Amino acid sequence: MSEAYVPVEAGFGLEEGYLSLEDILMSQERLPCRAETALPRLAAVLGKAGAEPLGSVPEGTKLEIPLWLAKGLYDNKRRVISVELPKIYKESWRTVFTADANVVDLHKLGPFYYGFGSQLLNFDSPENAEIAQTILQTFIGRFRRIMDSSQNAYNEDTSALVARLDELERVLFRVGQKGLNDFQSWEMGQASQITASSLVQNYRKRKFTDLDS
Amino acid sequence: MDPAEVEFLAEQELVTIIPNFSLDRIYLIGGDLGPFNPGLPVEVPLWLAINLKQRQKCRLIAPEWMDVEKLEQIRDQERKEDTFTPMPSPYYMELTKLLLNYAVDNIPKADEIRTLVKDTWDTRIAKLRLSADSFVRQQEAHARLDNLTLMEINTTGAFLTQALDHMYKLRTNLQPGESAQSQDF
Amino acid sequence: MFGEKAIELIRELHRASDGQLPAFNEDGIRQVLEEMKALYEQNQADVNEAKSGHSELISTIKFRHCSLLRNRRCIVAYLYDRLLRIRALRWEYGSVLPNAVRFHMSAEEMEWFNQYKKSLATYMRSIGGGEGLDLTQDIKPPKSLYIEVRCLKDYGEFEIDDGTIILLKKNSQHFLPRWKCEQLIRQGILEHVLS
Repeated sequence: MSEAYVPVEAGFGLEEGYLSLEDILMSQERLPCRAETALPRLAAVLGKAGAEPLGSVPEGTKLEIPLWLAKGLYDNKRRVISVELPKIYKESWRTVFTADANVVDLHKLGPFYYGFGSQLLNFDSPENAEIAQTILQTFIGRFRRIMDSSQNAYNEDTSALVARLDELERVLFRVGQKGLNDFQSWEMGQASQITASSLVQNYRKRKFTDLDS
Repeated sequence: MDPAEVEFLAEQELVTIIPNFSLDRIYLIGGDLGPFNPGLPVEVPLWLAINLKQRQKCRLIAPEWMDVEKLEQIRDQERKEDTFTPMPSPYYMELTKLLLNYAVDNIPKADEIRTLVKDTWDTRIAKLRLSADSFVRQQEAHARLDNLTLMEINTTGAFLTQALDHMYKLRTNLQPGESAQSQDF
Repeated sequence: MFGEKAIELIRELHRASDGQLPAFNEDGIRQVLEEMKALYEQNQADVNEAKSGHSELISTIKFRHCSLLRNRRCIVAYLYDRLLRIRALRWEYGSVLPNAVRFHMSAEEMEWFNQYKKSLATYMRSIGGGEGLDLTQDIKPPKSLYIEVRCLKDYGEFEIDDGTIILLKKNSQHFLPRWKCEQLIRQGILEHVLS
């Protein structure tokens, strides 16, 4: 692992990290919306082009737009769009999460379950309180399993464990693994060994594959 | 922190050696050492003890607590109590590892000691996880973790603080309006 | 949808995990800038129309403006994250980068790297009681002044403290001053052998 490169952290919560790659990817996820005004000249951009690419998207059209755009267009002064809840934050799914958060494959459903869910609170849905509560309870419910698996799985294949984790949980899992691995390599007397930088190792690998192809 | 750095700090701990050479008192930035007389016990920092031992200049005396009977008591106590019991040294893991690595011939029943210390460590780490989980479940805001050692904190610390940081933010989500206004990007 | 090219830049960089530096995507940047220019021009035109009574255009203008800001955010984040990676190279690799890495950098990034290198050198010269202090050395607490190393590839001649020149040949083993070889170990030329 490279020690010198520390990426910009995701904001995680109501605020995004402006320069965080994670948050930029998170805010690219789409959510269902409804156009509250007509949107002239945007038919092609929104994939609604019938005859005319510069046609208007009429008021009331259902749209799937990225979060960043929904945030920009959601404005109380001029309601360009209204936002609907993606299905995994709706009541039927919330019940599933409450029943047993551990059985859910958050990667398949997310993969930014917590980050995206927190962002949804920017839109004043009447269900905001329940959403916030469900997300928190889901995290609490899954905490133990993430902690135990990340602190036990030394030198094991962790891909099966990680596969069902949301992006935030994966970062957490890796942090836990690093603590464990560092400790175990200290125990085996390898902590004082100077090692090649991972940045370097990977460039070398790339050079070899370049030669092969 | 890297465990190598924690170990570096542990190397400042004083241990007793019996040198087989003579040397007057020496004056170092970190403090004065010696004088050294053959056969006379003297206290030195662990880093120097190991260095001398590697060059066969001394015999190491195990710390008082590094004893099978005492360590059994410590382990049993640790298993019995719900909270963390005080350890005989804030660097018990590091001292055990270094002394058993470099001076195993000077420490009686080294294998048993190794196992006992490891058992105690495992008990404490399991306890730490259990309390972390109940801390999260009950959504507590603060906790007392007395008697934890630096190496223990260091091994799970990054994970725990980050997880608690996430939980804190998820909890602030519950109180709209109290957090800062979000920015439009 | 607008911003697709920009998100592609971010995805590409994010895929190169662990701090590696992928090739600078000049073409991708150019395409994003073109989209931004087009958005700006369309908005300029529509703003003028909106002023002359077509207020229904305001939603569309807003839509494009959001897209413009999104593109800007992606580009700034792309460039900034690359700088973080380039800075890490100075610490992990040293001040001379191999060609394989330099080929992945833009001219401006090379320029930035050189400036960073200079600032760091100036700072390191100014500390340590007038003698300077190399902060990139001894990332881990050293255990001894000399260490055992094995050579992983043919490197050539290498001068140590006392002026002796030794030949670093693949698979040869040496006992060298730690401070002289730490960087070569990080670069993957030598391997630190634990006794």
